[in-house]
Amino acid sequence: MIINVDSPILEIHDLTVSYDQSPVLWNVDLSLPAGKLIGILGPNGAGKSTLIKAIMGLIPTTGGYVKLFDRELNDVRSRISYVPQRESVDWNFPASVLDVVMMGTFGKLGLFRRPGKKEKKIAMDCLEKVGMQSFIDRQISELSGGQQQRVFIARALAQEADLYLMDEPFAGVDMATETAIFQLLQEMTAAGKTVIVVHHDIHSAMNYFDWIIMLNLHLVASGPKTQVVTEELLRKTYGGKLNLLTKVTDIIRQKDFNPLKN
Amino acid sequence: MSFDQNAFLIIFTASLISISCGLLGVFMMLRKMSMTGDAISHAVLPGIVIGFFVSGSQRGLEVIIGAGILGILATLLIDWLKNKAKVQLDASIGITFTLLFAIGIILINMLAYKVDLDQECVLYGEIAYLPIDLWITDAGFSMGPRITYLAVLNLVLVGTFIFLLYKELKLTSFDENFGLVVGLPAGAINLALMSMVSYTTVSSFEAVGAILVVALLVVPPATAFLWTKKLTSLIKLTCGLGIFIAVTGYYAAYLVDSSIAGMMVAVAGVIFLGSAAIKGIKPNWAFGTSTPSKPLEV
Repeated sequence: MIINVDSPILEIHDLTVSYDQSPVLWNVDLSLPAGKLIGILGPNGAGKSTLIKAIMGLIPTTGGYVKLFDRELNDVRSRISYVPQRESVDWNFPASVLDVVMMGTFGKLGLFRRPGKKEKKIAMDCLEKVGMQSFIDRQISELSGGQQQRVFIARALAQEADLYLMDEPFAGVDMATETAIFQLLQEMTAAGKTVIVVHHDIHSAMNYFDWIIMLNLHLVASGPKTQVVTEELLRKTYGGKLNLLTKVTDIIRQKDFNPLKN
Repeated sequence: MSFDQNAFLIIFTASLISISCGLLGVFMMLRKMSMTGDAISHAVLPGIVIGFFVSGSQRGLEVIIGAGILGILATLLIDWLKNKAKVQLDASIGITFTLLFAIGIILINMLAYKVDLDQECVLYGEIAYLPIDLWITDAGFSMGPRITYLAVLNLVLVGTFIFLLYKELKLTSFDENFGLVVGLPAGAINLALMSMVSYTTVSSFEAVGAILVVALLVVPPATAFLWTKKLTSLIKLTCGLGIFIAVTGYYAAYLVDSSIAGMMVAVAGVIFLGSAAIKGIKPNWAFGTSTPSKPLEV
């Protein structure tokens, strides 16, 4: 079930991505509304991160196109923010927490110009939002996994964008932090920002996302949570992993949330 | 001891070269590309030979341009082998620089009767001849050692490059993809850095030789990184180490009457090993001298 919207913030048309001739994403075709908290779900190797990277132009595509704000990516870079996977960088890099968060402002600064007071203020505000204000001078090599993740989110916030793409921001994050970050994301969407999150935990996905994309090489579903979270579509997404599916249906039952009823 | 002008000139020039190399080396190390610097320093050889052949002198701008082009070519070739041909990074570095270096040696042999250049000079250099290699103007007036001028110019250019692109270099060294996402030309910045490394190699090879340039690119930043986890202090410490290495290396070579450049690199290596030993042993010392019962109390 793929639900399209009018005047989408992100439109993907027939997108195909392949690594060494073997396609990892087939004909993904979807459109997303603005101001929503959107989750991308799917099993390992389903192409979730690949989809985000293709949207951000970090990997070459074999076919199709992506339009953001109805424009080309290069025209709207300053309006898009990105949180890469935590493992994608070496945390031994000699930088403080503040240094890394300030990097979020570099795009708007442009070449050669140095960050000043204004950029520092932005970075401090963003650190406060993720609850890391007491760590500004800490070297990033001395952070825990969850703290590193929050630093990356603060860096993305410092980009002051309208659309946020986050690749597994909750990997290795404890429950309390996850809840706090989800609350922050909900506040952001309430303020009109759009947040797209690659996520692996179906349970919390049910609780927080407004709109869900299910992916398994092909696009299985894209639509409001209440319409797309069905046993049939989950089964299609997660394939034969019945064990997992039973867990999911258990959770749905526990939560007294049965989309099939509506 | 009276003031020895030659000693001063050699130490001064060597300091300039090691600071230039150290500044670039810090970013090469942070990008995990220290060995790419090694590759570049060898791969520029065909460029030097061709530039030499075209201009007819070691001093021509053609030599620097030729080396710069070969340096960039080597970087692109390494990237291509790694990303497209799926060869491991270290293997692709090995393939690239040995191939280009071999081409350089073949060119030297083929053009031997036209080119006053041999691989020994390119590889090892000799800083001791610096005071007699003077820059003499057309009017016949001596301006002082030529290599010192080259080293000053090199440091000014490297310093300006890093000063202007500090923020970009920092971001792309830490997280290149994020740099691309926010719209910084990460690829161009990388190539610019590689060009600076090529140029520095060429500018310094007569003084310290291509192999020792590698040591100055790698060892001082690696040593400094053992002591600090802050980028600005890392850069400052690298520069300080560069000067210290130049001074101690010169006098150590003077004492045992040996190669100055060789001794400088040996000093650098000893400092690194010493730092690593101190850093590695420290926890044991702390454990030995502080109250050993502490872990048990917890």
